[in-house]
Amino acid sequence: MELLPLTLLGGLLALDGTSLGQFMISRPLVAGVLTGWMVGDPVLGLLIGGILEVYFISIFPAGGAEFPEGGPPTLVAVATGAAVSGPAGVALGALLGFLLSRLSAHSVRILRKINGRLAPDPSRMEVTPSRIVWAHFGGLVFDFSRGCLLSLVGLVTGQWVASAASEAWPLEMPGTLALLAIGASIPAGAFLGSLGGWRRRGGLLGAGLAGFLLASLVL
Amino acid sequence: MKNPGRRAHLSTFLRSFLIQASWNNRTMIGGGFAFAMLPVLRRLHRGDPEGFREALQRHSEHFNAHPYMADLALGAACRMEEEERDPEEIRRFKLAVRGPLGSLGDALIWVGWRPATVLAALVLALAGAPPGATVFFFLVLYNLGHLALRAWGFRVGLEWGSQVGNPLRTVALPKQADRFAAVGVFLLGGLVGLALGRSWAGDSWPLLLLGVTGGIWGFWLGSLVGQRVWRFTFWGISGAIGLIFLVGWFG
Repeated sequence: MELLPLTLLGGLLALDGTSLGQFMISRPLVAGVLTGWMVGDPVLGLLIGGILEVYFISIFPAGGAEFPEGGPPTLVAVATGAAVSGPAGVALGALLGFLLSRLSAHSVRILRKINGRLAPDPSRMEVTPSRIVWAHFGGLVFDFSRGCLLSLVGLVTGQWVASAASEAWPLEMPGTLALLAIGASIPAGAFLGSLGGWRRRGGLLGAGLAGFLLASLVL
Repeated sequence: MKNPGRRAHLSTFLRSFLIQASWNNRTMIGGGFAFAMLPVLRRLHRGDPEGFREALQRHSEHFNAHPYMADLALGAACRMEEEERDPEEIRRFKLAVRGPLGSLGDALIWVGWRPATVLAALVLALAGAPPGATVFFFLVLYNLGHLALRAWGFRVGLEWGSQVGNPLRTVALPKQADRFAAVGVFLLGGLVGLALGRSWAGDSWPLLLLGVTGGIWGFWLGSLVGQRVWRFTFWGISGAIGLIFLVGWFG
């Protein structure tokens, strides 16, 4: 596993999450495939990234709300999944991804506090162009470093537990995917709930389900 | 009306991509707003350092909006500064638009456009598209909407200034948000349908039954609790995976 390039990619993914552009390179689906390419298994990247994407579907950064991040955790999940092949890799990768995304939510809170100290306070008349620019680029540097650190911690932890975990996972791939799919159904339901629930959108959901199920059976 | 020039406008627009870089609890994206306004303010207050300092100060005050919709407020603030409007009026304008631009952006992008495009990509992936094509499809489709919205918002803001509500009413963004949300729900159903269709072809019927039953319960629970369910889900699924690892380890 190439630790340095993966760590740097983690920093870039963290930047895209909030600070820089939000082009959605940090979405689990994209981060998963990018990491997959770097570790030589883009299909695994798509599988883990796609599953995590559904878990993140109903999460959005409204106002100052605390929210879990998708980019660096997905990177760690895919890199760990590639190090431990088979269903154990998918399960361990997903587990690390979920735990790291909780940790990332705390790290975002710390970053915001640091930014608060860097940014000039307008009520104290301390605003100058150079302070605005430095606070801004300081925020970018700290966010990038935060993403690198999160990724590094996750990657090292993943490598450390990988050999032990590969023997300990008793489920086959279908069982592992079924477990993750059941978990993913909860945020998927939350997504429906936030859009008006069963009464308003149930028909559309049913139409999509029936149509695509039929198509997949017939074609 | 003063004119800072196209280069200053372009620079402000490009800087808006960094508007959240110094996000903090005191001024939220206020620092980012001032950072983006810098090129225009510099041009407008050339030879007037006191006016420049005051303008920078008022634009670094507390402000928040959806990052993409903030371009609209940025464009309008540029226009109002160019028209040399009363600073208190500019402050009141920013105060008035920050709430609506936040909720409108959340509904349009985070709840509508983003889930719809990402679900379309997931459906594509489950239908057999290779990883590269899936990601390319998502990034191009999503960012077409993203960049178009930012550019439109900044242009409309520059054109209409404090009257920016007029074009907003014409394009009826809440209605567009509702359409995207409907597409998202349809594609979510499609994703479930495709996943079921693929599992149907396998031979593990008890597992499929377990997955469907668990999935229905999970879906129902999620739809009841709503958006804040993610905390419970992340801990719950982590606990379940950890427990299975422990059972496998000792078993």
